[in-house]
Amino acid sequence: MAAARRVQPPPRIGARQEAIAGYALIAIPMALFLVLNIGSFLFAGYISVFDWHIRRGPEEFLGIANFQRALGDPQFQTAIRNSVYYTVIWVPLTMAVGLFLAVVVNQKIRGQTFFRAAFYFPAIASSAAITTVWIFLMAPDGLFNEVRTAAGLNPLFQALGYGPNHNWIGDHRTAMNTVIALNVWTTSGTFMLFYLASLQSISKEVYEAAAIDGADQWQAFWRITFPLLRPGHFFVATVGLIGGLQLFDQAVFAGGPNGDPANALMTVVLYLYNAMFIQIDPGYAAAIGIVLFVLIMSGTLIQRRLFGESPAW
Amino acid sequence: MRRTLLALWVTASLVIAACAGGDGATTAPESEPAGSPGTSPAASPGETAGGGGGFDPASITGTATLGQWESSPSERDALTSALEEFAAAYPNVTVEQETVAGDYRAQMITRFGAGNPPDLFYVNAEYAKDWIDEGFLLPLDDYIAQQGFDTSAYFEDYLNIFKGDDGKIYGLPKDGNTIAMAYNTDLVQTPPATIDELVSLAESLKGQGNLKAPLCLNPGLDRGLAFLYAQGGSLLSEDNSASQITTPESTAAIQWYMDLFKNGLGMTAADMGDGWCGEALGKGDAAIVFEGGWLVGFMKDSFPDTPYALAEMPVGSSGEKVTISYTAAYGIGVDSANPDPAWVVAQYLAGPEGMAAWTGGGIAVPSRSDVPVPEGFDAIVAGAEYSRPGSGFIRGYNDVQKAFQDAFTLEIQNQSFSADPVVAATDAAIQSALSR
Repeated sequence: MAAARRVQPPPRIGARQEAIAGYALIAIPMALFLVLNIGSFLFAGYISVFDWHIRRGPEEFLGIANFQRALGDPQFQTAIRNSVYYTVIWVPLTMAVGLFLAVVVNQKIRGQTFFRAAFYFPAIASSAAITTVWIFLMAPDGLFNEVRTAAGLNPLFQALGYGPNHNWIGDHRTAMNTVIALNVWTTSGTFMLFYLASLQSISKEVYEAAAIDGADQWQAFWRITFPLLRPGHFFVATVGLIGGLQLFDQAVFAGGPNGDPANALMTVVLYLYNAMFIQIDPGYAAAIGIVLFVLIMSGTLIQRRLFGESPAW
Repeated sequence: MRRTLLALWVTASLVIAACAGGDGATTAPESEPAGSPGTSPAASPGETAGGGGGFDPASITGTATLGQWESSPSERDALTSALEEFAAAYPNVTVEQETVAGDYRAQMITRFGAGNPPDLFYVNAEYAKDWIDEGFLLPLDDYIAQQGFDTSAYFEDYLNIFKGDDGKIYGLPKDGNTIAMAYNTDLVQTPPATIDELVSLAESLKGQGNLKAPLCLNPGLDRGLAFLYAQGGSLLSEDNSASQITTPESTAAIQWYMDLFKNGLGMTAADMGDGWCGEALGKGDAAIVFEGGWLVGFMKDSFPDTPYALAEMPVGSSGEKVTISYTAAYGIGVDSANPDPAWVVAQYLAGPEGMAAWTGGGIAVPSRSDVPVPEGFDAIVAGAEYSRPGSGFIRGYNDVQKAFQDAFTLEIQNQSFSADPVVAATDAAIQSALSR
């Protein structure tokens, strides 16, 4: 639109063709976007106000009843609480670890490329595979429990109430935190990559000036690197929030469709999935989708406010 | 700007109209006679009914797609051999297998939504009622009547699961399973015949060998229901119309089951570090487990060196033999393109010869009394005589199971071991399922 407005006033030769070519080039992706994204979004809004059946279509207009049912369902409230808890803990943790890794591999160290690849590696493994590995690691007689026993850490864990064969994923008190730990590990590589890109956009001269003024490494990090990474923080935090509130695969692999143990791994998207595929209630599932959209949208807007108006990029 | 918005709005409206139109179209065939959407050359039962003639499966020519899940290579082999026998018996009907990988239920629902299900497919008892209610399945009564297909050989509970509220039959049980007791014969010489014997045996086994617990138990109704019945409790009234979980008998039965965990006699597979109780039996983490016929193939493949045997479920305070059953059926979609060939395949595979070939593969147990019992499955088939359904008897049973299991898990993990919250949560779920 902006482009169209800019070329409008002087009717130069070629400008029109240029505009047509531009629209032609974006026509197919735009059409797909309109149909698959905007179209299905609007359609979801449409069916969310009906008692909708897969084969028979709408049977009854329900108005906002599907939304009321969702918000009044204790299981859905648990799902929202779990998803929000996950996001609030997971995003900052992953940002911290990702930033730490980025700063480390940004140094001129030997084997820099190897470390970058190594830290990024868990992110490219499929979530099903890595979650399965994690389930084995955290099983009652898994590697994690064996290692802490060997390291003599069991008295510490005992004091926290976890026995030597604690079932980390199977116990409702530790299931979500175990999944958070998994995802901090797997996603920090991706966040590292984002931060690395941001780090490299900071001019060397700023550091040189700071060094002349006598700033040490620690001060340089907190006074220069961290604040100048603001666009990076915003980007990573936003991507994290959107991904976090959509937690599904790791939860379903670890806890099954019921969000076992005892709803500890019931997330909003898993609840939506169950509404559609177990209860076979598309209208209700669509309403959940809309609620999730509102949740993510408002979370993103709050973040935008926190990080200040439109960032540099 | 305004024009752009208008264009957006028009596009979106078109999309909605297109989608809505698609759904509108699928509502139409509801009233059409069964089989009319089919493209098969032979007369459909809807037409033959008018003509007054019978339905001869041998006269049908065509192709039917078969959508099915596949849990193991042995299951594939069993199905392949059954289909080979079918091909010999009905050379005019070709079967195209479509193994649905991943989440079978979810994938099938998208197929129903697209109006494009396989011609013939598996229907698990667990969600049969939901699929019938949603109008996904074709009633088979016309085929049954016109062919004179005998359904009396099916164990009643298996067939009843696939009957709709209208009394029509929507699926032919392809096989069945009941929950029986499997025990490690190194540790248990004589299987307990009663619940009291089971408990005292478990007490004597506690701490023996490498056992993590004498019994491997599921914290849910998928096995707990058998014990609830055995101990005189119940979930629903006889006609499935009212909750009975709050009766003193039911509460006492749940408390008894929970006390097995409390007293260290029973443990969940997850807490033993196993995927399921079959694995716990195989690895020697538990001496006694409660599973169905699927255990047999699993033990043969994964733990051939663990000696075990199957026995019927111990009798509880109800004084009667009882267990629970699981089954699945062959169903045909209302929107299936070739219902006639699909029926030909179904009536063979769920008939005496096809089922004998299928269950001869050693991974499933017959759902009909006129098919010989494969070796090693006697206890499982014996249970079919007195079993009650383990799932699918009311719509929304999944929510009931989930409510029970969530509350039960909390009680065990918080070590409060009280049946009352479990009863309350389950009762609430039953009420909401019944009011749906």
